[in-house]
Amino acid sequence: MNKEDIISSGLLELYAMGISSPEETREVEQYLQQFPELKQELNEIEISLEKYAQANAVEPSASVKEKLFKQVFPGSPEGEGKAARVIPIQSNNRTSSFPYYKLIAAASVLLLIISAVLNFNFYQKYHKADAQLQIAQQKMEQQQKSNQAMTQDLDVVTNKYAQPVLLKGTPNAPDAVAKIFWMKNTGEVYINPTNLPNAPAGKQYQLWGIVDGKPVDGGMITTEKGTFHIQKMKSFGKAEAFAITLEKAGGSPTPTMDQMVVIAKM
Amino acid sequence: MVKAIKYTEEDLIALLRSGDESAFSYLYDNYSGALFNIILKIINNHELGEEILQEAFVKIWNNFSTYDSSKGRLFTWMVNITRNLAIDTLRSKSFKKESKTQSSENAVSNVSNSVNESNRFDSLGLRKQVGFLKEDQKQIIDLAYFEGYTHNEISKKLGIPMGTVKTRMRSAISELKKILQL
Repeated sequence: MNKEDIISSGLLELYAMGISSPEETREVEQYLQQFPELKQELNEIEISLEKYAQANAVEPSASVKEKLFKQVFPGSPEGEGKAARVIPIQSNNRTSSFPYYKLIAAASVLLLIISAVLNFNFYQKYHKADAQLQIAQQKMEQQQKSNQAMTQDLDVVTNKYAQPVLLKGTPNAPDAVAKIFWMKNTGEVYINPTNLPNAPAGKQYQLWGIVDGKPVDGGMITTEKGTFHIQKMKSFGKAEAFAITLEKAGGSPTPTMDQMVVIAKM
Repeated sequence: MVKAIKYTEEDLIALLRSGDESAFSYLYDNYSGALFNIILKIINNHELGEEILQEAFVKIWNNFSTYDSSKGRLFTWMVNITRNLAIDTLRSKSFKKESKTQSSENAVSNVSNSVNESNRFDSLGLRKQVGFLKEDQKQIIDLAYFEGYTHNEISKKLGIPMGTVKTRMRSAISELKKILQL
């Protein structure tokens, strides 16, 4: 049998439940040695069974643990419950020639050195762990942000009132495309600038709505890397067309017509 | 008093091998409830069940050197020891005699009022999760895993072919894995 056959045979499940026959048990143990990858599969089965058993746990009385520990550790003080044996303190032999205080002093110094080494070691470990934690937290925040932005994008796209408007590239930027979502109920305008080329330094894209033949400012569009998400623009109750021009950063009061990159007539 | 220590399986095994008393205490606190449930599923007698539980843990402690982690997880090994003890007791003559005089009502009430609070696993959350298993899936896992019914016995008891037992068991466990997001 190969690995996949063994997994799909259901043998591992029987084994993990402890109900495989002696031959099946021997078989599985042999497979485990033959294919170390099977251990992972078995482990997952065992963990799920273990959790299932935990989910059904019934707590025994506290006295069981007491009795158990008395039986297994009869010598330990909490085990037997009887008074600890009293060991009389030996009277100090003052004529002893060995200078105990020197020994104690030496031991203290040694302990201090060990402690210092350990402190230093732990401090380094702590720093490393702290740095790793910060990295992990930053990553998580980034993930959350991008997740939120994605959810917002999705909300706009799936809104039942959203009317998508495709703005196609002009001869200035034949490959550029932008998509507007125009909410028919509120007039809110959202733009997806993903397919606009990056704006050159000092320049920014500006949205215009053509209302009664006149261009009306629709707001500035961000196209920095990493912020390619749907953005909310100014609302338009009505418009004959939408266009995007490349303007100086911060925007212009009127559009620079020869810098128009995309347009859509309604 | 719940201590916040949580050992990895390897650490726990290493400590138990070295005869560490606090590791054994941890083992008991974390697994006694799960094992006790299995005993009660086989022997519906709270008092006797607790005796078996104690005996099982003594055996786990005394025979710890025979545990081989290459053959499976620690808990699986503990389940096998415990379940075998419970089944042996069930088959023993003295139990058969005793159980006739035992009031089953009493045993049930004993079980239901021992709600576990000290269990360090998120037992409530887990209970909710495994509640999503279908009844027939639960039944087959309970029979095999908790009560130690063999493949063949399950097939007879449920009146389904052996092959179906195997596939149903496999799908029940993969469903369990999915529910537990393993």
